[in-house]
Amino acid sequence: MMFIEVKEIVKEYATATAVRGVDLSVDKGRWCSIMGASGSGKSTLLNIIGGLDSPTTGSVSIDGTEITTMGEDDLAKFRRERLGFVFQQPHLVPYLNSVENVMLAQYFHSLTDEDEAVEALKRVGLGHRLHHRPSQLSGGEQQRVTIARALINSPILLLADEPTGNLDRENTKLILELLKKLHTEEGFTIVLVTHDPFVSGWAERVVTMEDGHIIKDEPAYY
Amino acid sequence: MTRRGWFIHFLRRSLGQRMGRVAVASAAVMLAAGVVVTALGISLGIGNKLGGELKAYGANVMLTPVEQYLDGSVLKELASDANVEDFSGQLYAAAQVHGAEVEIIGLDMDSIKARGWKPDGKWPGAGEVLAGSDAARALGLKPGADVTVEGTKMKVTGLVERGGPEDSALMLNLADAQRITGHEGKLSAVLLRVSPGNIDAAVAALSQKLPGVNVKTLKQVARAEESFLGKIELLMMLVTLVVLIATSICVSSTMSATVLERLEEIGLMKAIGGTKRDIRSFFLAEGVVIGIVGGLLGYVLGFAAAQAVSKGAFGSYISVPPYIVLVSVAMGLFIAVVSSMFPVFDALKKRTSDIFRGE
Repeated sequence: MMFIEVKEIVKEYATATAVRGVDLSVDKGRWCSIMGASGSGKSTLLNIIGGLDSPTTGSVSIDGTEITTMGEDDLAKFRRERLGFVFQQPHLVPYLNSVENVMLAQYFHSLTDEDEAVEALKRVGLGHRLHHRPSQLSGGEQQRVTIARALINSPILLLADEPTGNLDRENTKLILELLKKLHTEEGFTIVLVTHDPFVSGWAERVVTMEDGHIIKDEPAYY
Repeated sequence: MTRRGWFIHFLRRSLGQRMGRVAVASAAVMLAAGVVVTALGISLGIGNKLGGELKAYGANVMLTPVEQYLDGSVLKELASDANVEDFSGQLYAAAQVHGAEVEIIGLDMDSIKARGWKPDGKWPGAGEVLAGSDAARALGLKPGADVTVEGTKMKVTGLVERGGPEDSALMLNLADAQRITGHEGKLSAVLLRVSPGNIDAAVAALSQKLPGVNVKTLKQVARAEESFLGKIELLMMLVTLVVLIATSICVSSTMSATVLERLEEIGLMKAIGGTKRDIRSFFLAEGVVIGIVGGLLGYVLGFAAAQAVSKGAFGSYISVPPYIVLVSVAMGLFIAVVSSMFPVFDALKKRTSDIFRGE
């Protein structure tokens, strides 16, 4: 069985169909990019894989756990214990500093441990910005806090939705190098959604979506 | 840090971030709780005051004239009635004092001593007067001063403040009052005490024995007062209800605006594994803090307002029962928590993906 198995996923909204019968499998420890233009259904697919949205039909299993049949509380438990998210917007709590934002994820998981949170921030190169609030951080730094937050509970899968969408090229490279390091040195499985070929090229495999279908599935060319 | 420690830390940060909104919500809760405390304070305070007065009399039956006055001979009848344990007659009349018309009350001074009056000065004997505080102020009277009542020179022995109609009157011994006002042998009312186990029979017997006299139990008098109080309470309840609805809408809209502002935060908490219960706890805890703060401030505001209203309308302060502070806090909690609950529950129904898409 593959680490991620997506079977015949369809997602219909009242006025449109975002995903039209997608099948996708990803091996453990691989980095897969899902690429496509706006409205191609790539973010919807990622949200369904992460249990943030439910499919109209079809199933998703991660590491042998079928998540599409889970109730809300079980899904929340699964997310906090097994998944890490990085979004296009950092979605940091504005009145908490970097360490506290990371500790919030610890709180939902089990107990907070400030030393561990500090370590996670040092790991993403933010040892000097521990007690700064989001408004005092650059876009790249904010995104690195979200990566530290995503990693703090030792997830088995990192899901990233346009993580560099709001960053300049220099910060984009910094974030991608960080993800690459996590992937190669620590073996993280990553599924990353992007519309940018430069970003998708950092993965080992690129899946291209259009109009809710997968139209291409090939190794990365960078 | 323990989970509870982190929870409190998070709460402090969150409340500290939105001091303005928290202050507005607390002020709205304070107003609601304050109005309830004012209404309750006045209702209970006045009720207790009246009840205390009636109890202090020790009387359980009252005689009043069908027409203007009772004849003093009723006192002889009462003295010979085996059912009557104690009685005292009173006369209310208007008299000219230093060119102004002032109410004078003729009474048996021993009976008011038993009611716990404490004059500033001495009790009056024959030819002496106890002045109510308002009357003393209006007429410039002090203990030891002379006062001319209907042309009769008398001496003021003391002042008294009761928060009732007595404050604007001069209290004289019954015989002096009857003589000075020309109502010798006349009475306005008689308060008497009959054996408590036999009140109805005693009232029936007195009604038969004393034609032309209204014989009422003080329960009936109290009932009439209760009916008056009931009307005041109803009015206060209506005002309170209107204010409660208005302030609840204000708190609710403040809370809704806060939740709307923090929708992204709620989405994030869900995404990183917070259950509905976890997230609800954060928001409802904020409601609890706002409710307690608003409730306590509301008690202070309501207490002050109740005292001001009582002093203005009834001329004296009232005692507000201490448990009202709990009522105020409970009211504050109820308004704040219920008002927070609906927008939070509504927000929690949204999917994270919809929140992040801005839907």
